[in-house]
Amino acid sequence: MKLYCLSGHPTLPCNVLKFKSTTIMLDCGLDTTSVLNFLPLPLVHSPRLSKLPGWISKDGTINLEKVLDARELLDLSTIDVILISNYHCMMALPYITEHTGFTGTVYATEPTLQIGRLLMEEVVNFMERVPKAQSATCWKNKEIQRMLPGPLKDAVDVWTWKRCYSMQEVNSALSKVQLVGYSQKVELFGAVQVSPLSSGYSLGSSNWIIQSHHEKVSYVSGSSLLTTHPQPMDQSSLKNSDVLILTGLTQMPTANPDGMLGEFCSNLAMTIRAGGNVLVPCYSSGVIYDLLECLYQFIESASLGTTPFYFISPVANSSLEFSQIFAEWLCHNKQTKVYLPEPPFPHAELIQTNKLKHYPSIHGDFSSEFRQPCVVFTGHPSLRFGDVVHFMELWGKSSLNTIIFTEPDFSYLDALAPYQPLAMKCVYCPIDTRLNFHQVSKLLKEVQPLHVVCPEQYTQPPLTQSHRSDLMLELQPPPMPYRRCSVLNLPFRRRYERVYILPELANSLVPSEIKPGVSVATVSAVVHSKDNKHTLQSVPKPPPVAPSKKRKRVMDEPPVVLAPKPLLSGAVPLEAFLATLQKHGITEVKVEETADGHILHLQAEDTLIQLEEDGTHIVCDNNEPLRTTLRDLVLRFLQKL
Amino acid sequence: MDRECVSLLPRVCEVLAASGSSLPDDTSLEKLLDWFTGLTKAGTSLLESCPCLLEFISTVVHNTALDPSILSFTLRLTGFVAVTEVAFKVLQESSVLDLVFNLQHWQEAGLWEDPCIRIGWIQGLRTMMQHPKALSFFVQADFLQPLLQLQTDKSLFVASAANQMLAHVLLSCQSVSSVGSNDVDEEGEDVGRSGGSIADLEYSAVTVETNQDYAAVVTAISECLKKSLVPRENTQLHQSLQILKLLALLLAQTRPPLWEKLLQMVADSVDELLVAGYSQLILPLMDVILAAYSCDVNRRAPDQRVSRLLSFMLNIRKPADLIQAAAAFLRRGLHDLVHTAQSARVLLLPLDIITGLNLLTTTADEQRFLMMEQLKNKTSCISLICVCLTNTPQMTLMAADCLPCPPVLIVTAVLSLLKLCSGDSSSPSSSSSGCREVSRNVIGSSKVQKCALDALTALSGSPGVEVKLAEVFTLLVQCLDNPDSDPTVLQKSFQALVQWMSVCSDLSSITDQHRQDLLQVVRKRSCDIRWEVRDSTVEFLGRLAGVRVIQTTAEEASDASVAVLGGCCFTTPLLRAALQDTESYVRASAISALAQTLAASWQQGAALTQEQTEIVNQLLEVLSWDTEGFARRAVVRYFIAWLSSMSSHSCVQSPASSSLLMPSVRSVLSRGSADLDWEVKVHTLELAELLLDEAFSGQRGYTKGNPTQTHPYAVIPNTLHTRTHNEEDVVGVLNSLVQWGVVSALLSGLVDCDRPVALRACRLLITLREVVCPLSLGALDATAAMATVARVTCELPGCGWAREIRKMLVMKAKDANAEGGVSGGEVVNCDDCGEAGQEAASVGGQTPCVSVCEVLRSLDLDERLDVLTRSSDHVHNSPLSLLQDILTASSARSQPDTQQEVIADCY
Repeated sequence: MKLYCLSGHPTLPCNVLKFKSTTIMLDCGLDTTSVLNFLPLPLVHSPRLSKLPGWISKDGTINLEKVLDARELLDLSTIDVILISNYHCMMALPYITEHTGFTGTVYATEPTLQIGRLLMEEVVNFMERVPKAQSATCWKNKEIQRMLPGPLKDAVDVWTWKRCYSMQEVNSALSKVQLVGYSQKVELFGAVQVSPLSSGYSLGSSNWIIQSHHEKVSYVSGSSLLTTHPQPMDQSSLKNSDVLILTGLTQMPTANPDGMLGEFCSNLAMTIRAGGNVLVPCYSSGVIYDLLECLYQFIESASLGTTPFYFISPVANSSLEFSQIFAEWLCHNKQTKVYLPEPPFPHAELIQTNKLKHYPSIHGDFSSEFRQPCVVFTGHPSLRFGDVVHFMELWGKSSLNTIIFTEPDFSYLDALAPYQPLAMKCVYCPIDTRLNFHQVSKLLKEVQPLHVVCPEQYTQPPLTQSHRSDLMLELQPPPMPYRRCSVLNLPFRRRYERVYILPELANSLVPSEIKPGVSVATVSAVVHSKDNKHTLQSVPKPPPVAPSKKRKRVMDEPPVVLAPKPLLSGAVPLEAFLATLQKHGITEVKVEETADGHILHLQAEDTLIQLEEDGTHIVCDNNEPLRTTLRDLVLRFLQKL
Repeated sequence: MDRECVSLLPRVCEVLAASGSSLPDDTSLEKLLDWFTGLTKAGTSLLESCPCLLEFISTVVHNTALDPSILSFTLRLTGFVAVTEVAFKVLQESSVLDLVFNLQHWQEAGLWEDPCIRIGWIQGLRTMMQHPKALSFFVQADFLQPLLQLQTDKSLFVASAANQMLAHVLLSCQSVSSVGSNDVDEEGEDVGRSGGSIADLEYSAVTVETNQDYAAVVTAISECLKKSLVPRENTQLHQSLQILKLLALLLAQTRPPLWEKLLQMVADSVDELLVAGYSQLILPLMDVILAAYSCDVNRRAPDQRVSRLLSFMLNIRKPADLIQAAAAFLRRGLHDLVHTAQSARVLLLPLDIITGLNLLTTTADEQRFLMMEQLKNKTSCISLICVCLTNTPQMTLMAADCLPCPPVLIVTAVLSLLKLCSGDSSSPSSSSSGCREVSRNVIGSSKVQKCALDALTALSGSPGVEVKLAEVFTLLVQCLDNPDSDPTVLQKSFQALVQWMSVCSDLSSITDQHRQDLLQVVRKRSCDIRWEVRDSTVEFLGRLAGVRVIQTTAEEASDASVAVLGGCCFTTPLLRAALQDTESYVRASAISALAQTLAASWQQGAALTQEQTEIVNQLLEVLSWDTEGFARRAVVRYFIAWLSSMSSHSCVQSPASSSLLMPSVRSVLSRGSADLDWEVKVHTLELAELLLDEAFSGQRGYTKGNPTQTHPYAVIPNTLHTRTHNEEDVVGVLNSLVQWGVVSALLSGLVDCDRPVALRACRLLITLREVVCPLSLGALDATAAMATVARVTCELPGCGWAREIRKMLVMKAKDANAEGGVSGGEVVNCDDCGEAGQEAASVGGQTPCVSVCEVLRSLDLDERLDVLTRSSDHVHNSPLSLLQDILTASSARSQPDTQQEVIADCY
């Protein structure tokens, strides 16, 4: 069993597991941090942005780094299935399904598919709506890249950067998704069974169990034990794994989500009270639901009742509405609300009371209804594209305004770089609800996997805080670390295969006890293998002679069935054997001890008997009667089956 | 003793002796005993006043079929009866005593199994044993062995009572034998410690034989102590624990000959116990050693054995026990150079290890190693560090030569620990891997953080730590800014900050950057999502305004709020925003913080700003509309603070501020006295009292609310002499009091259904009456003297409290008319009252006016005060009512029919 690691990013994993003749891709996250090397894409031409010192507008379009550059490592067309753990970890899907010859199936839960689609749609929309002046690709050439300024010169693997996919590609990719529900078991070619488990991180997020009859691999990616909106994490099903692949821990181990949420609210209230606006660059699904819920409770006590909240995204409406209809994927509290019936999330009420308004973009209705001071939630968190670019230009100059970063995926300083100098206040409250090291070590103690495989980043403290030995995984035995492009041989204890015996065949067996409690029987049968299922069937009886010679076919020739020879077991005891030989008149025996047993030299007969652990040889030239005698003597000491 | 009670007692005794189960409730017997305790303490001889008790005891004690609780009660009662020698004799002669305390009697009846009998037996004996006769009774009856057995009784209460009893016996024997052996030289010194009445009794009757008996008792007890001190197996730990408790009691109270003897007897066993090292016994063992030691230190040169034991304790190998022992020693507050220094070193060791600061110049490597190993375990690390931190403030108060390092270094260590808690890397200890393993245990531990902040707060007073102010300030602001700090940590950080600023009044080391950071964090926390945090922030703002500091040497003193936060222009808007908070606690805190913030400007008599006017209006709105009592109470307190700061200040009230103050006070009085919350009403009355004080200070006959408050030698304010005693003045003052609504507030308070309100109002009305129209003046004098004052009237509106007052006036008038013929001397007064009453009654719906004086004189205020002073349950709690209850319950029981009705169908 092998694991091919195609991504070095611990929270945007992409691994391929070869297991029992299946090739399974686990997630395909898209690392988009390379967009930070580019200029923001304003909706309308911005003279300031196009003349930034030290920045040169090159391509006009954002490129996204694709996670895998690993064609040498693995032929992606051989992948049988792709298992998706959550909507953030599927953003590279079109790149894999569309241009690699992929013919397999993608498995994901319904919310993952739907919200994943929204997120992709949003990115495509952000990209496509901006007019591009020119497009160039020559700079990706290594020779030319060397001459480029600034961080671009040093960016690695630029040639792997790809254009953003189109909506058509997205649709085509998503058409290959097959929906699954939690704990639903999906057979893959009869060889393994895969099944998603709730991971508690986001709507429909899942961990995966991949198991054969004798082996169990757990894939834990992006899980959370906090009580936010999704269904709680299913921990018990992870027990007794041979291997647990652990990815997607929190990116902010030192930032406690509760504290950050409090920080978010107080900074928001502080800005609004002082008459400023708040900008929250965020994804259009996920943490935003929790933020809105928290604000729903907070606005009363902070007397923010009259402040408008705007959510601007091409998919804002769908995101808010989808969240309300996936009741079965929500935590218990929210599920029970549905029976009342009430909307599970309180943002429904915020919308109803006009406190929260959502718009597909800043054009149209929004521009006429916009009131300040206000709070705006909009994408993209990288500040390179989407409506957030507009608000940065609009509000960046006033120190009354505040930008609050809640997504942990991008360095906020890098994100802000093209907007400097900035008068606006910046607050960094990354909210990452995924497992932290404390929680994960508790979890692993509970589920006790035999081996843990994880990104190498988890096996040492963060570089910036090398003294924090509490911010790493400490396990016994130590976890197997992987990095990008590594191929791991996963250790397994057992190497068995399950084979079925048909009842009539089983009935015909004659077991004999070779030692107390252990019986053995010989089986003569035909192995029938289909879909990785092996069945022993009785040897078919020779068919009656065909009445007509005309219809006889070669294939119907019955196999020649011989009565099976009895199998021998046991060992030949030396002393007793010598005594027997003597009884039969063979006295001159020279015994020689070897590494495996003994060699008896019958000097008079010029014959050798080799007694070894797994065989006995009688070397006796031209004396068939003696050989037969000796053979029978040996057989006396052995059991027959 | 109440005659009525005495007359009821025989019947109660009958009831109890007949059947104990018909008691009104299970506390009745305890209440009866409480009553007897009170009587005994007051010196009443129970047997003389209630001879029926003797018969009761002798009846009950023979009837073992009775409820065990009655029997236990009887045992204890016997103790009370036999507390005097005379009664003891009577009981003994009637042979009741022998039977009551006869163990065999109870065992044969199968009652000894019941713990309430056992505890009754012990307590009865214990109460009785106040005189030598009882003691010899105890000795002769050979009760010592059973008592020793009871010491390990499975009932904790019995075991503890037995322990107390044993100590009592031993101390009694000591006193008696010391008298017998004429060893009285210690008497003078030990009066304080020997406690109890034993020392005062006379022992002339003690004979040599009994003396020997007592010696035998002492020997038996000490033998037992010696024998059972060291547990033979783990199951005997409980016994050792009991013995240790007893020993600690004894060593703290006994005097030399016995003390020496006890110590000598148990010294070896204690040694053995120390070596055995049972962790559960460390604290009680330390108690014993410290009891011995503190006795010893107070008396004369320390005993070598005790000193050695103590040194042993402070060098135990188990780190957790060691820390406990050291902490116990420090808590005792003994002044012993060597051991105090040793304890301090022990307690500083974990801090030294975890912070990597060299607090201790030398430590035994082994001790350090053991401690380090212990600290690597997270749970014990946190608890050890917390014990150390709790004791650090005490350490810094010790003499400098006891401390291994200056207090400044300890402050540094605490700061460094706090940094570790927040995951900060700048600690020097990060180099060694052992320390890293230790320090990671405290990362994010809010328990350690809280302890450290408490320690830091307490350390602010240590000598020479002022230089750390800037560092402390920075760290506390970081704590306050940390998103992960929990509300208690934030609250403690705020408290520490205030404390440090108030102690280190020189804030010159605080830079502008510091101020900016604090401003930012306060602003943020005042918007926090948790109300507790908003509350502590608001509180902090208020407390800071009360701290006087010197900002730089050149400037004069100002309050810390001004010095650090820039004063009102920053704090007032925040506090006004907090007035809108959804949580009533925060609103209340904001109101009191506003009062504290504005106090300075009030005292300086500064003119009111527009903002202050708005605040007053806002507060009056809160008083009218706020749904929670806390906020409304705070509003009244705000005006109390304002009014008192204006009146206490010698400068003339600025007309601008009083033009706003007095009308607002008037609204507060009218709204406050109509409030639903009794505390608001009480506060309102306090405001009224302030106005009375202000109006009448120096007036003849006027005593401030609580006369005991004024010291006999206190300087009498000038106003006393400047004020004239002119009646016209009184009229003027009274008129203004009526106008401000003080009189209405007092009258409405008087008829309030909440007792504290009515009581306070009544007292104030009496005070007012004494100034305006004292009852002491004869009726005729009064008429003449009050001719003008009586003209001052107040309105009685037609509803609520006023109706009550009117009713009272009418009643009074009727009474007066009825008595009119008999006592002619009061005609004038009564007629007036009658008029007032009738007038009030006749006008009905409108708002008639009545003369204040007449109202005050007619309301029977003194009688009312008398009623109000008694607690509302005084009737139910009296012994008489108890006895009556018992009788009623028994009669109810004897009439099953009625009882059936009482037990209603619960379903």
